[in-house]
Amino acid sequence: MKYRILKDFIIKNKAIYLIGFFFILLASFVQTLFPKVLGNIIDILGKENFSKTAVYTRIGYLLLIAAATFIFTFIWRNLIIGAARKLECTLRETLYSHLQILSQDFFSKRKTGDLIAYGINDVLAIRMAFGPATAMSVNGIVICASSIYLMLTSINFKLTLMTLAPIPIVIFCMLFIGRQIQFRFHRVQELFGEISDRVQENINGIRVIKAYVQEEPEIKKFNTLCDNMMDANIDMVKTSSKLTPIIEACFSVSFVLNLILGGRMVLNGTISLGDFIAFNTYVTMIMAPIVSIGRIVNNIQRGLVSLQRLQEILNTPPDIVDQENAIKERIDGNIEFKNLTFYYPGMKKPALEGINLKIENGKTIGIVGKTGSGKTTLANLLLKLYNTGSGQLFLDNQDINDYSIDAVRNSFSFVPQDTFLFSTSIKENIASFKNIYTDDEIEEATKFSSIYESITGFTDGFDTILGERGVNLSGGQKQRISIARAIIRNPSVLILDDSLSAVDTITEKNILDSFKQQRRGKTTLIISHRVSAVSGSDEIIVLHGGKIKESGTHEELINKEGLYYEIYTEQSKAEE
Amino acid sequence: MKFIPNKAKQKNKQGEHRKTSSFKELIKISLPYKNKFLLAIACVILINTSVLLKPIIVKLVIDDFLVGKKAQSGFYSITAMGIAYLLVSLTVSLLSYTQANLVNSAGQKIIKNLRRRVFSTIQFLPLSYLDKTSSGRLITRATNDISEISDMYTDIVINLFKDIVLLVGIVYTMLSINVQLSLISFTVIPFMALLVVFIKNKIRENFFTLKHIIGKINGSMAENISGMKVIQIFRAEKEKEQEFKELNHDYYKSTIIQIRLNSILRPASDVFQNIAIAILIWFGMGKISDHSLQIGVLYAFTTYVKQFFNPISDLSEKYNSIQSALVSTERIFNLLKQKDITEDVETGLPLQKIEKDIEFKNVWFSYNDKDWVLKDVSFKVSRGQSAAFVGETGAGKTTIISLITGFYKIQKGEILIDGININDIKLKDLRKNISVVLQDVFLFSGDIKSNITLGDPIDDKTISEAIKNSCFDTVISDFQKGIDESVMERGSTFSAGQRQLLSFARAIAHDPDIFILDEATANIDTHTENLIQQALENTTKNRITLVIAHRLSTIKNCDKIVVMRYGEIVEMGNHQELLDREGYYANLVRDSSCFDKVS
Repeated sequence: MKYRILKDFIIKNKAIYLIGFFFILLASFVQTLFPKVLGNIIDILGKENFSKTAVYTRIGYLLLIAAATFIFTFIWRNLIIGAARKLECTLRETLYSHLQILSQDFFSKRKTGDLIAYGINDVLAIRMAFGPATAMSVNGIVICASSIYLMLTSINFKLTLMTLAPIPIVIFCMLFIGRQIQFRFHRVQELFGEISDRVQENINGIRVIKAYVQEEPEIKKFNTLCDNMMDANIDMVKTSSKLTPIIEACFSVSFVLNLILGGRMVLNGTISLGDFIAFNTYVTMIMAPIVSIGRIVNNIQRGLVSLQRLQEILNTPPDIVDQENAIKERIDGNIEFKNLTFYYPGMKKPALEGINLKIENGKTIGIVGKTGSGKTTLANLLLKLYNTGSGQLFLDNQDINDYSIDAVRNSFSFVPQDTFLFSTSIKENIASFKNIYTDDEIEEATKFSSIYESITGFTDGFDTILGERGVNLSGGQKQRISIARAIIRNPSVLILDDSLSAVDTITEKNILDSFKQQRRGKTTLIISHRVSAVSGSDEIIVLHGGKIKESGTHEELINKEGLYYEIYTEQSKAEE
Repeated sequence: MKFIPNKAKQKNKQGEHRKTSSFKELIKISLPYKNKFLLAIACVILINTSVLLKPIIVKLVIDDFLVGKKAQSGFYSITAMGIAYLLVSLTVSLLSYTQANLVNSAGQKIIKNLRRRVFSTIQFLPLSYLDKTSSGRLITRATNDISEISDMYTDIVINLFKDIVLLVGIVYTMLSINVQLSLISFTVIPFMALLVVFIKNKIRENFFTLKHIIGKINGSMAENISGMKVIQIFRAEKEKEQEFKELNHDYYKSTIIQIRLNSILRPASDVFQNIAIAILIWFGMGKISDHSLQIGVLYAFTTYVKQFFNPISDLSEKYNSIQSALVSTERIFNLLKQKDITEDVETGLPLQKIEKDIEFKNVWFSYNDKDWVLKDVSFKVSRGQSAAFVGETGAGKTTIISLITGFYKIQKGEILIDGININDIKLKDLRKNISVVLQDVFLFSGDIKSNITLGDPIDDKTISEAIKNSCFDTVISDFQKGIDESVMERGSTFSAGQRQLLSFARAIAHDPDIFILDEATANIDTHTENLIQQALENTTKNRITLVIAHRLSTIKNCDKIVVMRYGEIVEMGNHQELLDREGYYANLVRDSSCFDKVS
């Protein structure tokens, strides 16, 4: 279960992996034959009157080894590294698909930047570990094993042991110093992050900094960071620059041991000159994989950490799931809250408490209250963004938990408080990326929300791209597009969550009027902190501290002289 | 048609010219550390000598002792040579350690100074420049661009030199040992170099594509995660997933090209080395049989040919990194050149307090020297008075405030503060005496207290009074840690209203002579606003207060209401006077198109 996603992928692609690893073995082994052949040629050349054909054959071998190494390496790299890339893309897609089914509660606890990091950095780290790092370690192990084997058996046992004596020291130093480097590297990364944060915050807040003449203190703070960064960097290089000289010194010892001892053996006839040269070449050959041990270990460790992180996200179950036999039909628009109490996960105070409210199909309901009174929570529950306890919220006399997510969300439409539009065309935004609406329907929806003229005023009309790369709309224009997006779905229930705040008063009135016409016979919920937006509703609910304080029509509530009346007078007093 | 090639050429030339000038700048900032760099270069030369020495020693050992069977005595022996080589290589190890640290410490110091220069230049850039420049770009200057140069110093500069010295050294040593064999070996090298450079260029092109797509993936994830609520509510999951998959697939396709290219390049070095060695043996074979060539020489050459590959491969990579570092350098120095236009906040007449008044005298102002945003604006506000600016969006209200804080210079007329021309006043003193509360409040990460003081030495009593006067105490009581409650990046855990109250507290704590509210109450509910109104009456008593608001309630109590339209003042007076006048203001109030009707 722990790394299931990885296991599944490997099993699915086992043929690629098997063939790939087979070719790694072949390629590595063929490479180690080279010094042997070279030594052989030298031995032949060393003899007086050597046979040229024998040399030609060996030259042929060398070329064959070259060709084989090339072909085998080409094949395994394409297979193994290619599979790692495929793994990367699969993981990213799996992550994205999983994010889409996770609930709002999950997103409210995490920063967008962190979640993106999973999809980019972690996935890359996993690729590095299971692609290049794994392949290189197999390659390195085979080269070392096969070189040492050939050195031991076909050249000289004693010489091999003596010459390779410094290698364990190399490995020890690498792992030991490697850890120190990693530690210091983290510090550098951390500081770089701090510098980035500082710069970002500073530049975004530069107007405040200027207005309060904080330039000097800001520079001072930044300079300290720069100093730390410099120190950390110098500190890191002090450690990391030890590594290569130590390794090279160790290999120099190997080389010199081989030179002196091997030379003696050649002179007293224990080994041939060719063996000596082959030996020398082997020592250089095993240097490369040994030097890269540190990097490989590091890559694999990072990959495993990332895999674990990713797995955690993938193992997070969505809070809201369809029950078996969930109802799939659209609802008509009868809503009933029965003594509903709701706590946001991890909160001690309920966001809504003892809500009893019956909304009959076709009614327009106004919900007023201060910030934090629970207005938006009502909408969140109706949209099934959070789970409601069973027996507390009924749609068409059926518990909301019995409905599928699809059924609920397709019956509802929502215009959120803070408008979110995607940076694609206006058309795609209104159609929610679906191509089920005709152009006429889209135009109709925009006329309804009084944005049609603005859109046709753009050069590209409905194909105008929004956002950074395109046109920047004003807050009011965005809200009106958001309304068009909600209305085009012709929902059974429409919820407006303070959705007209950025629209000027005349337009607001126009939109509210057309709502009255278009929504006749359909349920509409208008959430607002302004009395004016809800005063025309069939019933008004006044929320306070998560409870319904009052309900009734505008006149009833005014006559009651309660909280609604208080808000009303306060607001109309401000108007005078 | 004819002009196009010319133009392209010119552009290219300009590019080259700019690169040389960036290069010169780099040299300039490195000059103070020239001794370190020279020492490092000396180290590099010595280090390379050892690399070149190794094949020669092997050659000597093989030819003189192992094949030639010459008598060994004293220093002329395998053991002595081995030990000598060991000593050399141990020294070289020390040298390469020294070299790396020399270059790094010099590089880091250069980078530190550069980073500081960039940051402090940004601090004093005038708003007229900042308005035109995206903040993302400025952030990149101080972070990524600097890193790019930093990498160049620590990684590229010294290795570049190492590679060049090594290549020259190999060629020289080979030629001095055997000219004929050298020429034979060199026949392979151009092919090797061509292939490496060709493939590396292709890889680079592909790398840009990859980077571009990964940027898109990044953007798509960012947008979809931020808009997940909308995606889920509107059931656009399938469509969005399809879009993401397509993007991801494009990425996969590009990576496959990358893998192909690398799969050719990586084993290529082995192939070329083997071919070179085969050619050497084939050619040397005859010479060895007639004793005109020694085996040791042949072996030394095989080693040199192998040593050729790495520096060539490195150089082609480094060339590209240097190119991008030069681009970063150019960008950074373009920014540093803005030094001429940076604000000088230190010179000018000192201004301890604003005692009397602020006056606009026939002020004309334009952001772009074309369209007048303010036309002949004149008004005067004295200490103890409050003035409100009213008008539709774009009437010039906010501009007036930016001018008072000295963010822009006017083209015609005069702005007088206590009778002194604003241009003559020390900017630092001017701004110290003004506090602005904006609609869009910026909070810094830290805690509530640091956001109120902003690093100025303000005592706790003043802070707590400011908190009380701004009604921020109603908010603070909700926090466990009171004013030590931490503030996240951009104040994301605070509501818009809470942020605005904090910004009020910040302004009041700085005890300004001029108090400016720019749409400052837009996000505060009516109840809290009433509280603030009362508090303001106390705090603004002995100050000059300037207000821009959409709420009638905020405006109507002001001593003076300045009604603006298209950059001009159309009416001025108090609420009642203006209503009686039945002019533009009275109209505005009546159909309230520029006032929020209720809130």
